[in-house]
Amino acid sequence: MPGRVLIVDDHARFRAIARRALECDGWTVVGEAVDGRSGLAEAQRTEPDLVLLDVGLPDVSGLAVSRELAQRAPHIAVVLVSTHDAEDYADLGAANGACGFLAKADLSGLALDALLGR
Amino acid sequence: MSVREHHQEPAPAGAAAAEEAYAPLLRALAERLEARLVAAWEADPGAGDTLVCVACWHAPGAELRALAGVTRTTVLRAGEALPGQVFASGQAAWPAEAAGDDRAQRSAAAAAGLHGAAALPVTSERGTVGVVELLAERPFAEPAAAIDLLGLALGQLVERRRAERAGHAALQRHRATLHAALDSVVTMDHEGRVVELNPAAERTFGHASADVVGRDMADLIVPPELREPHREGLRRYLADGASQLLDRRIATEALRADGSRFPVELTITRIALPGPALFTGHLRDVSDRMRATAELRASRARIVEGADEARRRIERDLHDGAQQQLVSLALDLRLALRRLDAGDAAAARELIVEADGALTTALAELRELARGIHPAVLTEGGLRPALRGLVGRSPVPATVVAVPERRLPASIEAAVYFFVAEGLTNAARHAGDVQIQVEVIDADALGRLVVEVRDDGDGGADPAGGGLRGLIDRLAVIGGTLTVISPPGGGTTLRGEIPCGS
Repeated sequence: MPGRVLIVDDHARFRAIARRALECDGWTVVGEAVDGRSGLAEAQRTEPDLVLLDVGLPDVSGLAVSRELAQRAPHIAVVLVSTHDAEDYADLGAANGACGFLAKADLSGLALDALLGR
Repeated sequence: MSVREHHQEPAPAGAAAAEEAYAPLLRALAERLEARLVAAWEADPGAGDTLVCVACWHAPGAELRALAGVTRTTVLRAGEALPGQVFASGQAAWPAEAAGDDRAQRSAAAAAGLHGAAALPVTSERGTVGVVELLAERPFAEPAAAIDLLGLALGQLVERRRAERAGHAALQRHRATLHAALDSVVTMDHEGRVVELNPAAERTFGHASADVVGRDMADLIVPPELREPHREGLRRYLADGASQLLDRRIATEALRADGSRFPVELTITRIALPGPALFTGHLRDVSDRMRATAELRASRARIVEGADEARRRIERDLHDGAQQQLVSLALDLRLALRRLDAGDAAAARELIVEADGALTTALAELRELARGIHPAVLTEGGLRPALRGLVGRSPVPATVVAVPERRLPASIEAAVYFFVAEGLTNAARHAGDVQIQVEVIDADALGRLVVEVRDDGDGGADPAGGGLRGLIDRLAVIGGTLTVISPPGGGTTLRGEIPCGS
């Protein structure tokens, strides 16, 4: 079931493509952020259902942002994304409060639904 | 018989010392036996079968002085003249038969009115080692029975002088060795006082030997916290002969006159002489070696760190570049497929065009990255095409002036390539609006390769600047060196010299 999503990634091209792919599947992109700090601020401001969070951010690690979000706003789901494989990050993501991990190339609204179990 | 050249005298334990040693004895003999001239002859240390006159006492008078002069410069073979005969036979000639003796001395003696002669062998455990000759106005009476003892006593004198000469020569050799030694040698007595510093030690420590003789060595050159252990070690050694320091190489620190400290390698030995203990410390200043070792270690660490950093950079470049492009490409294509399925061909086409652009960019980025890791053209075509490609892509105008035709070992080609690449980057970063020339000279006769990256900028580059560290390390790995020539206003030349055999 599509919901409201915040995209946090420092690569503008990925943000644009993710927005297009998710909107195509009916998701509403409520905001974009280019690093961890502004991502946290945007999450507080927009109250999304889901934060699509890049692991490698320029200021702080996506894992740290995930931890922070899990503490501050446990009702917001976090999905980590990376160009790396799921094997590298799936366990780390779970340990840091994220509910899933997606390789960037596999991103779609359907993949998110599957991860969120809906 | 021959006349001795004076300059052959073995000085300083020679002429003057011999005259001095013999003088009281010869004078006493002359007075007791009423001789007018008494000469001491010794076997020549250089030629055992010749006698040389080493001392001569004479009574006052011009003729006697002339006779003494002749005697002192005379050399006799064994068997020749009275002293030579006594030397050869080992028997005293007392009184001697003067007849038939034709040497110059004899005629001079006659001229001086001397008609009596006698000679007795000087003996030691080595046998006959010399002769004492006496000349008098009247023939000598038969000698006293104890005359042999006189020869023996004089023999002791000869032996003592011989030992002194040997000791002196050994001392001279020792001095010369110490003087020439490149290592510092400090000699210390049993009380820990300085006996001598050799010139190297004077230079190293900044003390003049003459100024510090007799002073406590520990106070002078041992760092404060090591002084008490040093003294305790000396006390223990003198008490029971136990030492943990003697005759082994120790790494420690020493103190200069100006208070600065430096690392040394020290070996302490006891000089094998009878009497109170004497020790020498041989010290080698190992500051340079330590510095070189530290620099080598730091350089290795930088190389490893550099390699790690390069890997991190490649990962970052891949992640930020080609990987992102390929992710976009995958998502674009997937979306396009969905548009096609939905019957929206125009939207699908737009996405495919975008994907094509991403693919082109990704390929270009991968090519650039691969070249940065190791340019394939270098492996396949060598330096000439690789450097032409490099200057062709340079952001500042650059030309290749010369590159050797022949192929070089891969490690050297790679070093030259990256030297030029970093040189171009440096020039672009620091020199601004310039022209760059790249030249590789195959100085075959010298067994080395000279690489130059020259710009016509403002010059004044700092040769110790951090940006050149990587170049220096890269060259050092293959035994090369970097020279930076950068006079203010005169452009900058980076010159790498690389040994490459022939």
